[in-house]
Amino acid sequence: MPDIMTSATPVGRVVATELKPSTPHQFYFWTARESAVGIGAIIRVDAPGRIVFAVVTDAAAYSDLVTPMHAVLGADGDPAAVGLEPSARAEIRLYLASVLRQIPEEPLQPVPLGAVRLASDDDVVLALRMDGYTVGERATGIPVGVYAAGGHESPVYLDCDFLLGPEAAHLNISGVSGLATKTSAVEFLLSSIFQTFPAHKGSVAAVCFNVKGPDLCFLDQPGSIGDADRALYARMGLSPEPFAAVRYFAPHKPDGVNLNTLRTHEALSSNTEPLVWGLREVLDFAEVVMNRDDVDAKADAFIDFLAERIVGHEYHDDLLRGKPFCVQSFADLEEFFRAIFDFMEALGKGGEVWKTHHVATIRKVRNRLSNISTRSKGLVTDDGVANDLPWGRFTDRSVQVIDVAGLDPLAQDLVFARVVSKLREHLERRDLGVDHVVVFVDELNKYAPAEGPDTYVRKMLLDLSERGRYLGLVLFSAQQFRSQVQRRVVGNAGTSVYGRMDMDELATPGYATLSPATKIKLGTLPKGELMLRHPHFTQPIFVRFPKPAVMTGREGVERFPPAHDLPFADAVARQLRGLDRSISADAIRAAVDGRRELDVRRALAATRRARPDDPAAYFVAALGRRVTAEPAAPRRAVPTLRRPTPDDPYGP
Amino acid sequence: MWPETVAFLDGTQRAEIVGYAGVAPIILAHIAAAVRERTGRVFRTVVTERRSLVVARQDALNAAGDVFDGFDRVVIADAEASHPARDLRTAGRAIDRARGALEVAVGLRYRTSSGAWLVVDGTLSESPAWADDARAVGVVKSHATLPFSGEELERYLRLPFGHRTSIFAPRSRRVAPVRAWALRLWPWQDRDVFHGLIRVEVAPANGTPEVADDLSRWLLAERAPLSTPDARWDRLLYGIHSVGQYLRAGS
Repeated sequence: MPDIMTSATPVGRVVATELKPSTPHQFYFWTARESAVGIGAIIRVDAPGRIVFAVVTDAAAYSDLVTPMHAVLGADGDPAAVGLEPSARAEIRLYLASVLRQIPEEPLQPVPLGAVRLASDDDVVLALRMDGYTVGERATGIPVGVYAAGGHESPVYLDCDFLLGPEAAHLNISGVSGLATKTSAVEFLLSSIFQTFPAHKGSVAAVCFNVKGPDLCFLDQPGSIGDADRALYARMGLSPEPFAAVRYFAPHKPDGVNLNTLRTHEALSSNTEPLVWGLREVLDFAEVVMNRDDVDAKADAFIDFLAERIVGHEYHDDLLRGKPFCVQSFADLEEFFRAIFDFMEALGKGGEVWKTHHVATIRKVRNRLSNISTRSKGLVTDDGVANDLPWGRFTDRSVQVIDVAGLDPLAQDLVFARVVSKLREHLERRDLGVDHVVVFVDELNKYAPAEGPDTYVRKMLLDLSERGRYLGLVLFSAQQFRSQVQRRVVGNAGTSVYGRMDMDELATPGYATLSPATKIKLGTLPKGELMLRHPHFTQPIFVRFPKPAVMTGREGVERFPPAHDLPFADAVARQLRGLDRSISADAIRAAVDGRRELDVRRALAATRRARPDDPAAYFVAALGRRVTAEPAAPRRAVPTLRRPTPDDPYGP
Repeated sequence: MWPETVAFLDGTQRAEIVGYAGVAPIILAHIAAAVRERTGRVFRTVVTERRSLVVARQDALNAAGDVFDGFDRVVIADAEASHPARDLRTAGRAIDRARGALEVAVGLRYRTSSGAWLVVDGTLSESPAWADDARAVGVVKSHATLPFSGEELERYLRLPFGHRTSIFAPRSRRVAPVRAWALRLWPWQDRDVFHGLIRVEVAPANGTPEVADDLSRWLLAERAPLSTPDARWDRLLYGIHSVGQYLRAGS
């Protein structure tokens, strides 16, 4: 047995009766009426040859009163007289504790009738088995919060082998909305991971989907935190700092130049860039945007044909037209479809099949694909110039935030599916730039609902939750109601976190293992407190975490109010000023004056992609030589023939 | 209400036959006494004494050898031939006396450290020290011996709820004289005449109507909380009940 003696004063004694016996997994103990013991407190029981660590899961108090009637009789039926009795009845505070660990572990025996003490810092380390992964050269502990009870504040660590793989992985957090707990907890934990992820485990980055409001829009800005939070950071050995390397991606609004995000203040433009995809990026994920009935074998075959033979290839078909097709964009694709339909219409009767594909199938695929460009306008470009995440160039401790809050749900699905799939592809090939990626998805119930059709996104999330840990692809997900999320997705989360919960949700079968007292505590949990489940912890543990050191969405929107949508030329100028703040808006306005918007967008995309030393000059060059319209010389009018013919009745 | 800290004293006893030497019973008894002090409505045990006795005829004790080493030995007088039933009665009285003596000892020990009012379960006349103690009150629940007869007895036993009798000096007190009065804690109508009836004993110096009124008021206030589930809840003060619970829990 390790040297873990304690001199702390006992706060209780284990008590066991025939009706309430001690078992190897739980036991009862009593305390004085006034004590620091409460639900969630970690305690230790000392007995000769055995130490037991446990967490308090339920409590009861009762007096020596046999029946309530005796209280009525004793007070002469007057409730006001009860407090005036000269003696307080003998009363017990009886607690139920669930065993976290016994030392020695074998033989596993009932908890002995020993003295109960509140756990010290060292006890917490042992009780939660953190001694196995927080010490030594290859420690893998990640601070997640502070366990606080009876004046103790003990840091609690998660094991990154079980948080980011490969042993287990993924984290799921549940809690009611409006308390800023879910997002704050994830922001804090990401910061903790970035600060403490051990070098011997490799590199790590995060990809966050901002799905509502400005929640994740200011991760790079310092937030205001108080002294109490600073003390918590210090207790965990962390620095309260915002994320150092954050890149924001947001699709355009339908105008193609103003960004569809609340992060449009000019001061934030240097690391905010558009997320724009072309036909090639979308076509690979056509299944995402089609419902299951749409993607039958015939449609699937035709989409494969488009992907393999048409899009991005030069395609010759003299029957359709003499000039080869070079489909790069939705506009090109529409031209291609038009040519097929024209050809089949010209054939008349019998013209229902083109290259084994029925016209109805071709029309269906065409309608669905064109629907993407309509519903995802701003995300999907028609001019074929994409701007994407830095695939292959992810850097250690970097965050990529993709703001999809303003997107149509179908487009959100598309973004989500493609980004996760690309992450997976790159991690499989080990060419992403980092070894581990944390993907944070809020509103998981929307993407992986417990009920409803089996969508592409849900299947992908399930696959990610079941196999992602081998790749280093880790899902951090959040939702209000865990019961409304596909069970296998949340079930695969090695670490589960609970903020304040709705009591109706707690009444669902998924929470049956929690004691009524734990449920009550969860239902009234204050801001900044969480209940944790982690593979090393045999029972749920309550911890307190500090406010993340980043600006909240609300603060951010007040400090950096979103810019109003600008006219086309001004919006272009703003984006270029994001690359070089010395660029004159007037010069850009002059440069784009009279140009086709399509050409301007293309030049802007090229400039953004190239990130040249002189963005203004590059942009103007990318616009191409201005073709000045020559004014047509006034043509001399041809005089009317005026030959008076008096006898012509139609003459002038 | 008691003006300050008040203490309660009670004792318990438990006995069992553990063997026979011939037909002579050997009885093992555990006696205990404690004082629990009440301050701010909360009880705290301040003095506790526990003893284990072995009670038997001398022959029986001799026959047991060193089996009962560590126990206090109480010898039953063996003038007559052994009779198990008579020996048991004799042993019971011996145990009662031992418990009474222990209560007195505990009370005296408490008095060396505190001058608070001490409410004793039973008569004060067990000890001259108690009978002279101006801050001691005896509360007698048992009415095996009645102090009056005839019309006076009828008045005594039909005492209305919330009333006390006049102060009297009980006769035939074994050791020390005291003053006493009866007090009805609960209405007795529709029940037996002893329901809620206690006899209060004080030192002779306290045998004045003023003191009797004050103490009676304080004792009436002690009716709550009820000492249930004890069957004597109508006469058993919760403080005394608390001492009994404490002693039984530790035995």
